[in-house]
Amino acid sequence: MGLMVATRDFINRRKNVTQIFVFGTLTCLLTFVPMITNSPYNLHIFILTLIYIIAAASMRFIITSGQIPLAHGAFMGLGAYVSGVLSKHFGISPWITLFAAALVSMGIGTLISFPFARLKAFYYSMISLFFGVGMLQTIESFGKITGGITGITGIPTLFNSASKVPFYYCFLALMLISLFILYRFEVSRIGWNLKAIEQSYLVAGSVGISVVKYRVLAVAIGCFFAGLAGGMYATYNVTVSPVSFDMTATLWLIIYVTIGGMGSFAGPIIGTLVLFLLPQYYRGLKQYTPFISAAILFVVLYTFRNGLVSVPGLVVSFYKKRKKVKVIDNS
Amino acid sequence: MIILEITGLTKNFGGLTAVSNIDMKVNDGEVLGLIGPNGAGKTTFFNLVTGVIRPTKGKVVYKGKDITGKKSHEIAELGVGRTFQLNPLFPNFTVLENVLYSFQLRPCSSLLDTFFNSPTYRNNEAYIMEQSLEILNLVGLYKVKDELAKNQPHGYQKMLGVARALAIKPELLLLDEPIAGMNPDEIDNTIAAIKRTSQLGVTIILVEHNMKILEICDRVVVINFGQNIVEGSPQEIKENPEVIKAYLGSGHDTKH
Repeated sequence: MGLMVATRDFINRRKNVTQIFVFGTLTCLLTFVPMITNSPYNLHIFILTLIYIIAAASMRFIITSGQIPLAHGAFMGLGAYVSGVLSKHFGISPWITLFAAALVSMGIGTLISFPFARLKAFYYSMISLFFGVGMLQTIESFGKITGGITGITGIPTLFNSASKVPFYYCFLALMLISLFILYRFEVSRIGWNLKAIEQSYLVAGSVGISVVKYRVLAVAIGCFFAGLAGGMYATYNVTVSPVSFDMTATLWLIIYVTIGGMGSFAGPIIGTLVLFLLPQYYRGLKQYTPFISAAILFVVLYTFRNGLVSVPGLVVSFYKKRKKVKVIDNS
Repeated sequence: MIILEITGLTKNFGGLTAVSNIDMKVNDGEVLGLIGPNGAGKTTFFNLVTGVIRPTKGKVVYKGKDITGKKSHEIAELGVGRTFQLNPLFPNFTVLENVLYSFQLRPCSSLLDTFFNSPTYRNNEAYIMEQSLEILNLVGLYKVKDELAKNQPHGYQKMLGVARALAIKPELLLLDEPIAGMNPDEIDNTIAAIKRTSQLGVTIILVEHNMKILEICDRVVVINFGQNIVEGSPQEIKENPEVIKAYLGSGHDTKH
């Protein structure tokens, strides 16, 4: 028995090494971005990418529990508004409002998920759809504070410099911390319990997993990071309007997650990077971006059902198969 | 000692009475067979006892504690394990993972321990690993432990259901049709595994159509139309005219 435990540890360690390598490379590349490009526009795109990576990764965290959070864009919006209103009208430092946004988003997310956690996951998806739309309408209707349909402008920023570089590094750090926390949750027993609930909540209940507790926990953690991403957006962008966080925002998040691959932690990161950076090559065709993205989605879903993250694995297994065939030919 | 006592258990689905007024006492350490024709309410009975659905009326007392209407994970925490007739497992986990992640209750790691991968957590996980492999040995699934559960043959999946239920260290184990759809070899293996489990001191209630399983039961209860009709030793049940009538119909019916 002892030997078996050792083997498992070894396999885990090897997996960890690959993952650390991949994330390390990505981190290094992202660290050097401001040194490679000087154009503020490029940096702007990269900063948005960082924000949306947090949102997409947190959305995927909820999806692992079987619930599809169709209000995730709206929770980002909630975070943005909370952060914006607190720092503009109450004069609180944006450093604090950033986390206040995350906490408020987590609280409200928990409240709506609780009554539906005992039902099939489908009902949470439905109610979150209605709740997301309703939440934005409510925010809009408080025109005095939130500026109605035009939104808030003149939100205090984190850094008062003209350069975007400090933003970039600050958000890179926030993203890495968020991803680390989500990753720890994912690979620990909590993540596994969520996957178990996703596969069969009846069986999960029968072995003593509290389905309600873990589903609510998943939504709470996911909404915390959605709120954080929203808060980051508000303090960076200075203006927040409801249009940025409507149903389309949620759909974009779903597309990032699907293209990257829902089954893997790296999925939303890769999906977001690809869909943010690729359009920079066809900037002239900006009005066609949704169509091109849809085409990418179609191709990815048709050829690699598990998203772009499955491509290296497929390539490796393809070459292994070819080798085997060759051996048979020689003999 | 009586481990499970059920009085007047009733469940109505709208106008349909699936389980009506069942009384039952289960002794500690016995193997109790629960048989009955299709639609007799056996699975509903299991769901009522394990808290998947709430009873309309009646009382379930486990080890002197009233567990009527508790949630299923709370009942599992008290040491009542069960298997399911259909979809008995987590299909996308490997066989080993199925058992590993069914260890929820003891030992228990706190949220912080889990998050920081502390020594306590790692020790717990190592202990769980050892226990899981032991359970897989017990039910004879050790050789396929690293394969996906959904790719296993039906018999293995059923046994995995039992292994999963054993992971919560149950004192009472409810098996829903453990040998349905198995070939004779698999049936023999399963029966042997159930015997081994019973020898560990686990009380077992099993639902079955197949009369072969009666061999290992200490006592058999027959239910039909949601009511218990007869109770007795396996031999008595085999010869009881009411049981034969429930399964085959009365002589009068067969003549016409």
